Amino acid sequence: MNAEENRLAAMLNSEKNDTPCQTKTLGNFLWDDLPDATKWADCVHCGMCLEACPTYQETGEEQHSPRGRVYLIKAVAEGKIDVNDAFSKPVFDCLDCRACETACPADVQVGGLIEEARGQIRQAMPLTGFSGALSKTALQGFFPNQKRMKTLGGLMRFYQKSGMQRVARKTGLLNVMPKHLKEMEAILPDVGKPVLGRYPEVVPAEGETKQRVGMLAGCIMDVMFSDVNEATVRVLTHNGFEVGLPKEQGCCGALHVHAGDRETGKRLAKRNMEAFKDYDKVLVNAAGCGCALKEYHELFRNDPDMLPLAEEFSAKVEDVSKFLYDNDFKRPKSEVKTKITYHDACHLAHGQGVRFEPRQLLKDIPGVEMVDLPDADRCCGSAGIYNLTHPEMAGALLDRKIDDVPDDVEMISMGNPGCMLQIAMGVQKHGRSEKVVHTVQLLDWAYEKDKEKARKSIES
Amino acid sequence: MARKKRNKVNPDAVVRQLMNIVGEREVLYLKEDLISYECDGYTMTKGMPKAVVFVKNTEHVSQVVRCLNRERIPYIARGAGTGLSGGATPLGGEVIISLVRMKRMLHLDLDNRKAVIEPGFVNLKLTQSISDKGYYYAPDPSSQYACTIGGNVAENSGGAHCLKYGVTTNHILGLEIVLPNGEVVEIGEDGIPDQPGYDLLGLLTGSEGTLGIVTKITVKVLKNPEGKKTVLAYYDDINDASQAVSEIIAAGIIPAALEMMDSIAIEGVESAAYPVGHPLDIAAFLLIEVDGIAAGIDDQIDEILTVCKHNNVREVKVAKDEAERGLWWANRKMGFGAMGAISPDYLVQDGVIPRTRLPEVLIRIAEISKKYDLRIANIFHAGDGNLHPLILFDARIPGESERAAKAGSECLKVCADVGGSITGEHGVGIEKSAEMRFIFSDEEMAAQTNIRAVFNPDDLLNPGKLFPQPGRCVEVKQG
Repeated sequence: MNAEENRLAAMLNSEKNDTPCQTKTLGNFLWDDLPDATKWADCVHCGMCLEACPTYQETGEEQHSPRGRVYLIKAVAEGKIDVNDAFSKPVFDCLDCRACETACPADVQVGGLIEEARGQIRQAMPLTGFSGALSKTALQGFFPNQKRMKTLGGLMRFYQKSGMQRVARKTGLLNVMPKHLKEMEAILPDVGKPVLGRYPEVVPAEGETKQRVGMLAGCIMDVMFSDVNEATVRVLTHNGFEVGLPKEQGCCGALHVHAGDRETGKRLAKRNMEAFKDYDKVLVNAAGCGCALKEYHELFRNDPDMLPLAEEFSAKVEDVSKFLYDNDFKRPKSEVKTKITYHDACHLAHGQGVRFEPRQLLKDIPGVEMVDLPDADRCCGSAGIYNLTHPEMAGALLDRKIDDVPDDVEMISMGNPGCMLQIAMGVQKHGRSEKVVHTVQLLDWAYEKDKEKARKSIES
Repeated sequence: MARKKRNKVNPDAVVRQLMNIVGEREVLYLKEDLISYECDGYTMTKGMPKAVVFVKNTEHVSQVVRCLNRERIPYIARGAGTGLSGGATPLGGEVIISLVRMKRMLHLDLDNRKAVIEPGFVNLKLTQSISDKGYYYAPDPSSQYACTIGGNVAENSGGAHCLKYGVTTNHILGLEIVLPNGEVVEIGEDGIPDQPGYDLLGLLTGSEGTLGIVTKITVKVLKNPEGKKTVLAYYDDINDASQAVSEIIAAGIIPAALEMMDSIAIEGVESAAYPVGHPLDIAAFLLIEVDGIAAGIDDQIDEILTVCKHNNVREVKVAKDEAERGLWWANRKMGFGAMGAISPDYLVQDGVIPRTRLPEVLIRIAEISKKYDLRIANIFHAGDGNLHPLILFDARIPGESERAAKAGSECLKVCADVGGSITGEHGVGIEKSAEMRFIFSDEEMAAQTNIRAVFNPDDLLNPGKLFPQPGRCVEVKQG
């Protein structure tokens, strides 16, 4: 930015920041936590983002493109249109996949802008009826609440182990559910027990301690994929890292921020910032959560007291695959013989710019044959809870994703639980047999083989 | 604050007729849905359309056109809306016929090196879909990631590699067109580029959507060149860089591309998504690419290096691999959008000048920059003399847009004065219609509007574009 721009940006910001409790408005944005005008000032309307956008690819409609959405948000700020249903639809139909940010020549932060606009919409038009109740229950009642998440996990375990699942599937009881929920039920992973609370708060490194790191267990990850969390802890400790699992941590708040509930998002952000305050490094194995943590400072843009703390926290956050690669992870010696492809989770590739490292992690495992997935960084349609709120669009994107998976691979690897559920659902729906795995799991299997060999050689 | 409901706007009779043709969900008519269609890639002029209609086939286009003719409502064809002269921008009240959902490849005939596509086919996707077979589509406008070939035909788009391979018109073998009376006609025969009679393909290509709506396009596809090498040369003096350009061409080399960027443009691309690490204290760089039969390429590169050195180059290097070459090109091709990183708005001009006049033109552009107190970056297809001054401004500052527009017009005047033209590849559209007077007399323009009248007698199709218009003869119904 040149001097003139800086001056303008400062002017715009001072307009918004002069009182902690905002009374200012911006065109027809009348509510607290105003969107950031400097974000759309970067957009010159060139259209390079259009073909990167999954919803534009599907619809061809300008208002469902990144450029169109930015234009609409700007139009509200200029007082040209109101915050109403017709504005809300394109803003909420966005997957928040950030593919546009990769394509954008001017680094326009479309994702952040969408989230800020959603914050305005939810304050202007609180959700009512069924969707309101659903959103309240899930977003405010469950994800932020560890106990309830654990209970939910327990119930799901009971559902699977007690034979209820078999009965429900056999009797057609599931037929009363909407199609997309039924498809989702079919792929529920075997639910294990959450790591958080079960593991000690500090898991020591194997051998000499290289560094102590904090690890976000996540809410969905810890309930649905506790085996991935277990694998992550094993891989990190095997590499000489002491892993901290502070029990005060909780849900990252990404889903809330995506849904426009920025206040809950802020509350959860503060909790995690507090929980990890003694750590210099916070590692995340869920791309969506990692991206949210890295952007906590965006939530406190209008809060001068919290902003520096949030910026400091966000700088400590890293995806586990990148951390392992950058810290010269131990190359496994045992073979994991498999043909595998890698899907880029949006919030890893577009959100955090992490593409190379997870692939390299996989390639460095002996026996692993990597096959390219065409358009690997196109959204699979999971997008947080998008597959629940927009089953039609999510389904179309999932079909395209599965069509792209090469015929002869045995596994599809990725770094995000949302994608894992979604792609597993696609595999099931299309009658295919690929195993869906987290990148770290593969490394874990190889290490386990190494350890097994070492044990055997000692025994003999 | 009370919850705001969607304004109850019912579709009017015309919108309902359009819905009957294409389907209810294929017509947009609410203000919130239309507002993002009020301009294309050129943002200085905006107008609200009455509706946007998504067509799926030629029959749809024909019926929609007939309906709008009957109702005397003006209409515009639109592709991706990446155009830079406002060709797809409404003046107010037009119906936009969006061709983006007509994006199939209908036929691929590699033996005869041609492909038949629908107008919404994205430029780069054509190359991507045939590259594994060893072929590509040559015209490569910088917006090729998103722009449609239908739009390329309308604007006769160029691109970095048009120096050697020619612009869109040199790659079109046939068109299917819906005329403003709804009639469907085919122009050009299969694979026969030069037909007896008038060159209608040449007339239609670059007619900026004022003569008909293209619904099917037969394009040439080319065999990938056997070899390709790319040179990057940094200069401390822009005169040395221009002299090098002239000498390369004079040496008889026809590079596939010969691009130049000045220091402000370099500042832009280096602050944006694909920084190369160009030094920020140079006056200009040249990006030169040679392709063709592998055997001669190294000799040509040697000759180019010699010319560069002879003209006081600070540093010159050949891309060491495809990754480096790709990065250099991404950096260059994102040049316009990258201006967003150093300025809230920009206006790109599209002048053409004789190559040898570049140094004096740049001096005069610098004077214009000073006069209007606006920074101007220059991106230049140096090989074919196509200059893009990018005028940086901030539309939020009162009066600045107007100053930018005036500065832009003066840049074009300079180009016209040195014996050049006001557009090389972006088209005239709304933006440069007044500047047509810099190069055409009233009689010359009348001759051209007479041609338009043969195809588009009522001027309902994309009215107000291309030529300066004293007044509109059609009443525009506000949506």
